[in-house]
Amino acid sequence: MKETMAIVDATIYPVSSVPIENGILLMSGGKILQVGENVTIPQGATVIDAKGKMILPGFVDAHTHVGIWSEWYGQAESDGNEGSNPVTASVRAIDAVWPDHFAFKDARSGGVTCVQVTPGSGNVIGGETVVVKTFGTVVDDMVVRNPAGMKGALGENPKGSYGSQGKAPKTRMGIASILRNALFKAKDYLRKLEAGLEDPSKMPDTDLDMLSLVKVLKKEIPLRVHAHRADDIVTAVRIAEEFDIDYSIEHCTDGIEVADFLGKRKAKVNIGPTIWHRAKIETLNISPQTPGALSRAGCHVSIISDHPFHPIQHLVTAAAVAWANGMSEEDALKAITLNPAITLGVDDRVGSLEPGKDADFSIWTGHPFKIRSKIETVFIEGEKVFG
Amino acid sequence: MACIAIINGKIYPASNKPDMPFEIPRGVILIENGKIRAVGEHVDVPAGSEVVDVSGSIVTPGLIDAHCHIGISEDGATQAGDDTNESSDPITAEVRALDAINPKDIAFKDAIAAGVTCVQTDPGSANIIGGQSLVMKTWGSSVVDELVLKFPSGMKAALGENPKRVYGSQNKMPKTRMGNAAVMRRALTEAQDYLRKKDSAQGQSDKQPDFDLRKEALTAVIKKEIPLRIHCHRADDIVTAIRIGKEFDLCISLEHCTEGDKVLESVKNSGFPVTMGPCLTDKSKLEVKDIGFTAPYVLSKAGVTLALITDHPVLPIQYLRLCAGLAIREGMDQEFALLAITRFPAEICGVSDRVGSIEPGKDADLAIWTKDPFEYDSKILYTFINGKCVYQGTDPGQIGGKSI
Repeated sequence: MKETMAIVDATIYPVSSVPIENGILLMSGGKILQVGENVTIPQGATVIDAKGKMILPGFVDAHTHVGIWSEWYGQAESDGNEGSNPVTASVRAIDAVWPDHFAFKDARSGGVTCVQVTPGSGNVIGGETVVVKTFGTVVDDMVVRNPAGMKGALGENPKGSYGSQGKAPKTRMGIASILRNALFKAKDYLRKLEAGLEDPSKMPDTDLDMLSLVKVLKKEIPLRVHAHRADDIVTAVRIAEEFDIDYSIEHCTDGIEVADFLGKRKAKVNIGPTIWHRAKIETLNISPQTPGALSRAGCHVSIISDHPFHPIQHLVTAAAVAWANGMSEEDALKAITLNPAITLGVDDRVGSLEPGKDADFSIWTGHPFKIRSKIETVFIEGEKVFG
Repeated sequence: MACIAIINGKIYPASNKPDMPFEIPRGVILIENGKIRAVGEHVDVPAGSEVVDVSGSIVTPGLIDAHCHIGISEDGATQAGDDTNESSDPITAEVRALDAINPKDIAFKDAIAAGVTCVQTDPGSANIIGGQSLVMKTWGSSVVDELVLKFPSGMKAALGENPKRVYGSQNKMPKTRMGNAAVMRRALTEAQDYLRKKDSAQGQSDKQPDFDLRKEALTAVIKKEIPLRIHCHRADDIVTAIRIGKEFDLCISLEHCTEGDKVLESVKNSGFPVTMGPCLTDKSKLEVKDIGFTAPYVLSKAGVTLALITDHPVLPIQYLRLCAGLAIREGMDQEFALLAITRFPAEICGVSDRVGSIEPGKDADLAIWTKDPFEYDSKILYTFINGKCVYQGTDPGQIGGKSI
C-alpha cells in the first residue's frame, strides 16, 4: 500500500542534511513528501509513532552480485561471469538477475534497498551493470537505472581465467592492451556510426559489443574497473584518462598507497569487501581503515559488500567497522547511502531522505553503529518489505 | 622477576569460581612469572612491582578461537602456503596440523591486535577424518612447538557437503551422506580392532599388530583421550554426528552446528559441546543456507555450552569479538557471549586449566579494551600473553571519529 503515512517522533538522519530530533517523515504514493520537525500531517494519513527510534535512508550497495551469483545450486545459478571471452561488453546483468534469489531478502533484512548488480571480474570487459531495488518479482519493474555502467577488470582475475587456458591475457600488460584495443575499436565504430547517420550507406553492421562500449565513450555510462592492487588502480585511471571516460574504481583495496593520487582526482571509489580475508595476493593489504583514509584524502567513497563475498545484510556492519577504524560518522553513513547513489547516478531517486525522493528507509532501535541497535522495519517506495 | 600489577581496570574474570563475580568494577590483577598470582578489588601489590594503570578500561581474559586454520591456511599465500586439507584420502587421521603451522603467518599479528591469545587450529573439512588439531598461543616463538598448549587436542572429522564433493567429484567414496557415515564408521571400527589386537598382545612383541600410524592416531579417539571434532552444518549431519558419537561411545564436539537450533533437543540432550560459526559470512553452500546469529542465540538460551568461532580465514580472526557483539544484538546474554569467546572455548579445547579466565594460577593472557569490548569502536589497549605485553594499541578512532 502506497498510502499517505507519517512517521513521527523519530530521530531522522536524512544524510543530505543534519540529523533531526523528534522529526516527522511524511510520504505518499511511494515518495517522500516532507522531512522535518514541523510537518503538517494531512487528515486521513496513517501515523506511526517511532519514539526513540532512528530513521535512515535505505542503504545503497554500489557493487554486488545479488541474484546472479552461484551460491547454493552451483552451475544452475552461476551467471556472474560470461567467461567465454575476455571482452563481453554486450552481455547485460539484467538478463541474469533472479529476483527470487535469497540474497534480495537478506538485503532487505539489513536495510539495503537498492543495489548495483555487476557482472564478475573474470573478463577484462565483463558487461553492462544494472541498478535495481531489492524488492520485486519482475526485474524490469525493479530497475532504477539500466545500464548503469560497464564492468571492467584488471589484476589477477582475468589473467587467471584466461592465462590458465593459454589464452590472452596472461599478464597485466595483456589485460591493459585488451582493454585499450577494445576502446580503440569502439572509437572507430563510433566514427563509422556517426558517418552512417549522415550517409546511411556508410552505416556499419550492428555490433552489440561495440554499441555497448560506445555508451562508455560517450560518457552515458562509466567504466567500473575492478582494481585491488595499487598499480592496477593507477592503470585504471591511466586508461580512463587516455580515453576521457568516466570511471569508478571497484574494490580499491590498496587505495591507501595511492591516496593522494586518487584524492586529487576526487575519484569515485567503491571499497570492499573490507571484512574479508586476504584471499589473494592482490588483497594482501585489505584493511578496515581504507574507507576512512580515502575519505580524508578527498575521494568520493562508497562501502560495498561485493555480495556474496561479504553478506549483504551486513553492509551496515562494514560501515560501522569503517567508522570504528577512523572514518567519520557522517562519511561512514554517506558511504552506504548518498555517495553510492551519486556514484551510480541514481541520487535523484535514492540515497537520502528528501522531498521527491523514493520512500526507501529503515527504522532502527538506535544508532546503527551501536552494536545492540537492531533494525526493525524496512520500507521500499512506501511499502513495508521487512519487519 | 618483578611482578606486574594491572590496576584500576574494570575486570570481567569469566571465572566459574563461586567467589568470583561476573564484574569487578575496579580491580587489580597481579602477574608473576607469566601467571596470574591474584585478582580482586583489593590485592596487595608487592614493592618493586611494575604498575600499569588502566583506569577507565575493561579487562577480559585473552580471547580464544576454538576452531580456525591460522598458520596452516596462510593469508594471501595461495597454494604455496595452503596446507589445510591433505585431501589425498578421505581418512588421514595420521596427519598433524602441528607439522604445517607457519608461525610467520601474518594473521597471528591480526590475532594479538584483536585480543585473541589462544587458538585451536584444525585440519580442514575435505576429509572424513582430517587429522590432528592443536591448541597454541598466538605469540611467543618462531618455533611452533614452543607455542603449543595441547597436542593433539582433537581429531578433525567432517560430514556433509565437503567430503562428498571432494571425493565424489573424483568418482571415489564418499559420494553421499550415507558414504560419509560409512567411511567414518569403517575408520573407527578398524581402530577398535587395532586397539583390541594391541591389548590382547599384552606387550608380547610377536603378537603385536604391525604398527599403523593412522590407526594408532585414532586409538586416542576410541580411548576418549581426545575428542572427535566433527564438522556438521545441516541438522541431519548434526544428528548423524551425535548418532556415531554415541554408537562408538566417543567424546565429540559439534563443529559449526549451523542448524543446531533446528534439532535443539538432540543437541542439548547429547551433552556434546558445540562450536558455532563463522556467522558473519556468506551463505556459500546449501548446508549453510541459514547461517547467522539466531542459532547461537537459541542454543545459548537453552544452556548449551558453545564457543563462537571465526573458522579463520573464512572470517578473519580479528572479528571474533564482533561475532560475540552481533550475537548479543540477536539476543544472547552479554555474560554468555563473553564466555563463548573465553572460558567455553578453553573448556572445549581442553585447556581450561591454563587459559580462558582470569584466576590465580592461570596464564596471564589478557585483553585490555578502551571500552565495552562488544562495541564496534572498542579498541585494544594492551594484549598480554604469558604475562608479557605483546601488543599495544593506538586508537585510530581518535583520528576522524567522533562519539555518537
